[in-house]
Amino acid sequence: MQNVSTNPNIAVKRRSFLPSKNIQRRYLLFVILVAPAFLLRLATSAYPIAQTILLSFTNLDLLKNTNSYIGLQNYANMPKNPSVTGSVSFTIIYVLASTVLNLVVGMGIAQLLNANFRGRWFARTINLIPWAIPTIVAGYVFRWLLDDKFGLIPVWVQAFTGAHWIVFINPNASRLAVILVQVWKDAPFMAVIFLAGMQGVPLDLYEAARVDGANAWQRFWNITIPMIKPLVITMGIFRLIWSLASFDLVYGLTQGAPGVSTSVLALQIFQQGIDFFKFGFASSLSVVLLILVGIVGLIALRLYRRADIAY
Amino acid sequence: MLDAKDIGLQNREKRQGLSIEWGRIGLYAAFLIFALVVILPIYWMVRSSFATSADLHTSPLNYFPPFTFSNFTTLVQQVPFFRYVLNSLTFSITTTILTLVASFLAAYAFARIQFPGSGLILWILLLTMALPDIGTIVPLYRILAGLHLLDTIGGLTLVLGSALTPFTVWVLVSFIKQVPYEIEEAAIMDGATLPQIFIRILLPVTRPGLVTMGLINFINAWNNLLFPLSFAATEASKTLSVSITEVYNGYSPYGKPWELIMTIGVTMVAPVVILILFSQKSIVRGLTGGAVK
Repeated sequence: MQNVSTNPNIAVKRRSFLPSKNIQRRYLLFVILVAPAFLLRLATSAYPIAQTILLSFTNLDLLKNTNSYIGLQNYANMPKNPSVTGSVSFTIIYVLASTVLNLVVGMGIAQLLNANFRGRWFARTINLIPWAIPTIVAGYVFRWLLDDKFGLIPVWVQAFTGAHWIVFINPNASRLAVILVQVWKDAPFMAVIFLAGMQGVPLDLYEAARVDGANAWQRFWNITIPMIKPLVITMGIFRLIWSLASFDLVYGLTQGAPGVSTSVLALQIFQQGIDFFKFGFASSLSVVLLILVGIVGLIALRLYRRADIAY
Repeated sequence: MLDAKDIGLQNREKRQGLSIEWGRIGLYAAFLIFALVVILPIYWMVRSSFATSADLHTSPLNYFPPFTFSNFTTLVQQVPFFRYVLNSLTFSITTTILTLVASFLAAYAFARIQFPGSGLILWILLLTMALPDIGTIVPLYRILAGLHLLDTIGGLTLVLGSALTPFTVWVLVSFIKQVPYEIEEAAIMDGATLPQIFIRILLPVTRPGLVTMGLINFINAWNNLLFPLSFAATEASKTLSVSITEVYNGYSPYGKPWELIMTIGVTMVAPVVILILFSQKSIVRGLTGGAVK
């Protein structure tokens, strides 16, 4: 905008061709064009978030028919509520573990898709399938695949090792299942992004390293990784935030069972709010989720500053 | 006569040749495992949807059970199956259109019009992407109830269309910026109005971007569970994603009708798989359009 203040006519002529002859009309046009998107976000995101924060201080409950201000009572009750503490702890495990695994596996798949071999086109095409199919369907498919009597995976495990897997009665096995299915679903998406990043790395860097005698692993570690580091950080942050907010997979695969061992905060919010109509309590859980998202955001800022990424 | 140096060289070549062979084998092994891990679950779903319940509960497992369409006919009899398909389609199409229109207009403004603080406004818009949808469902429920939009496709379209807008704006801004500005300038000189510029010039040249984001948004809406599950109450607005949870939740843990659940699964997966088979490149361009410069 410095251009405009020093010499409005030139700036207007060069940067804006619009049929407006003066700045006011140009500004008006901007406002009109941006308004639909902006109002949509305001009405269905910004305003509801503010409402959520306010509701979190009430005991609004459609079934008990209560609606009064109770201050921080909802928050004070949380540490005593095993469903909440259980959900928060698994949320943190789930989000961290699935993000790290997503990055690692995604990188591996990207390496595969970037290699030169027959069938690469096929690999790149099927790679999009896990990303594209509905998460809820993926949840049910793996529930069925892991069925203790007629599921493919336990049957094969029994055939090869003799062990009888009953995944969904074991808390830790269920947790592992949730995390691994999440990786199955989303590592391919990471791979798509990383592959695009890898294709942008100049080939002569690799040539030079090869001449200097660097092996494949050294080339990957010393060239590929540093070159796409900003991308890895960005995708890691995105994944953390998406995982925090996601509830489809857990809803399909375990519904939080056994007990609340695989319940996540997002599932609790849904159950308390939409199933039980405890609007006040569900809102306070949403605020906890927002705080977790905020923490991830702060970490992101620090990482960006350290990595010196300009966006 | 070979001297020591030559032998050393030969050995190295041999070693390298060998290691390349191993590399190849490793590569194809990785490819095979990857393909198996991706395709096997999909195959298992398809197999289960075209088999009778009895054929799914055999020991040893029946990997290629006889083909039957009976699950589809059962579903049509038990739930308003076609209605759900129609609702899913309507919801996905209206959401895609709403998102594209709102995003295209905004993206144009961000890409072309100088406005004080427009960069900041774009950032705020993008930051709302980080606000989790699940954290807004309680107020959204009340807002939609107040507008009499609960249990309507319109209400669902509004909330999901809004949620998909920031990313779409982000990608479309970069697509519009790639269009040489001189084309529009020339049109202005010829006296074109803004709607004419949009329809005659920008739409054709940004078509790849619009198609890409249209596909991605369609898939997102088609797959969306949270909003229909929260706000749909009757067959007026229930989608396939709600239907599959109802069939699953409607039975005891020990008697899940897996053949029916997998049949709805196949119905939901088939369109998106067909879309990615035909437009893999286009979708990848959109997915990476925002994250990769």
